[in-house]
Amino acid sequence: MGEDPTQDGKRFDPLDAWRGVRDVYMDAWSKNMVEMVNTEAYAQATGAMLDTYLTASTPFREALEKAMVRTLEQLAMPTRADVVSIAERMTNIEMRLDDLDAKLDTIQRLITQAVGPPPQPRKVQQPAKKAVAAKKAKRGKK
Amino acid sequence: MAEATVITDPYTEAAERLKTLTKVMTTKAAIAQTPKELVWTLNKAKLYRYTPVLPKEKRHPIPLVLVFALMNRPYILDLRPGHSFVEYMVNKGYDLYLLDWGAPGPEDKNLKFDDYTLDYMPRAIRKLKATFGVEQFSLLGWCIGAILTTIYAALRGDQDGLRNLILLTAPLDFSNKQGLTFARWTDERYFDIDKVLAAFGNMPGEMIDYGAKALKPVENYIGNYVKLWDNIDDPRIVESWHAMNTWVTDNVPLAGGAFRQLIVDLYRKDKLMRGELVIRGERVDLSRIHANLLTVIAEDDHITPSCQSEPIMSKVSSADKELFKVRGGHIGIMAGSGASKFTWPHIDGWLAPRSK
Repeated sequence: MGEDPTQDGKRFDPLDAWRGVRDVYMDAWSKNMVEMVNTEAYAQATGAMLDTYLTASTPFREALEKAMVRTLEQLAMPTRADVVSIAERMTNIEMRLDDLDAKLDTIQRLITQAVGPPPQPRKVQQPAKKAVAAKKAKRGKK
Repeated sequence: MAEATVITDPYTEAAERLKTLTKVMTTKAAIAQTPKELVWTLNKAKLYRYTPVLPKEKRHPIPLVLVFALMNRPYILDLRPGHSFVEYMVNKGYDLYLLDWGAPGPEDKNLKFDDYTLDYMPRAIRKLKATFGVEQFSLLGWCIGAILTTIYAALRGDQDGLRNLILLTAPLDFSNKQGLTFARWTDERYFDIDKVLAAFGNMPGEMIDYGAKALKPVENYIGNYVKLWDNIDDPRIVESWHAMNTWVTDNVPLAGGAFRQLIVDLYRKDKLMRGELVIRGERVDLSRIHANLLTVIAEDDHITPSCQSEPIMSKVSSADKELFKVRGGHIGIMAGSGASKFTWPHIDGWLAPRSK
């Protein structure tokens, strides 16, 4: 045995004390940060950062979008707006299908209420196995 | 008998730990494994039915529909086998359904609470009732899902046969601006919602994720990984961390129209609780909610403090209502280690006699 276990069976770890200090420090840091993000100053600062980013990036984004639309049109390819338009129409069609489905469900329920459940499919009488075997045997003799 | 030799070489141990760390940080855990079938779909929304494990005569006749938030994946409710609310409730004999909103695309940027509560939810409920021949149902809404279920319950609940309503960490009252960090961040003096939505269309999942994590930055950006490293030799904790990290990093954008309503109508103007919220021309009157109501509050919730969830108790007309407070955070009460001991059994204990 290379190392002596402690009384509770765990090995002595010199980093345990460091971890304890670390956890205490992190708790204190965490509380300070929670208080900090909950201030008007933080809200104002993050708002200003976001606003600056959007103001600075919007002209580039719009220019890029225009250039992309022109390029796709030159290549006879659908633009983002075309794809979005098709997706919206698809959703509209799905809605109409769902409406039809609802009407069919209602009709089915009313029919069931009026005439009762649909009849069970009748069993088709199968020829007896013995008779089929006899027929085959006859054909074989011929 | 000779004892097995354990390699305690510190370099090998460190290499093993790094290997585990790399694996859990770069791969996705196997989640949402409870078997289910697709019942209904519209646009990105899907209604699933979890495969029952008990025969019909042993199941509760009133089905339960789960409605999760719009900006996270709903599989937090079915995280991993043995630690899944869905699995627990299916085993308890509930006919369980999940309404999954999916991820909105650019074409969905105008979707609003109006569409979710008056198009998607009634259609999904109609299909459920028609397919499985039930007249009544229970709803469980969590976080933003609780806002949707509350609006739906007020506008369509009685008409559609809503019998039981369960609200988990529901952000409904926004009057206490000082107690809400999100309200401060999204104040109109600092946050230009028109500019944000003009740039992105939908509210990007990454920005929502940043907002949620920045409420407790040290815990979320550092402490979470320190906790993993400290327990990297414990496979149970690593597995649990991996599954939760898979969910946390799987962000979904929030449809622009719904985000605008959340910020302007709710966070800034508190219209729902004041009775001023109008959905497709109809005022949302909370006193029109008559379903049995269970409100679950997480005592340590930093995203939805209890002051946001409690006031609904005095607004609804439900004769049967209960407020249940449980120790834990916003997600921890349903997906943490104590969920199967406290929250899940309480929900089952409340719902079972009301599902007959």
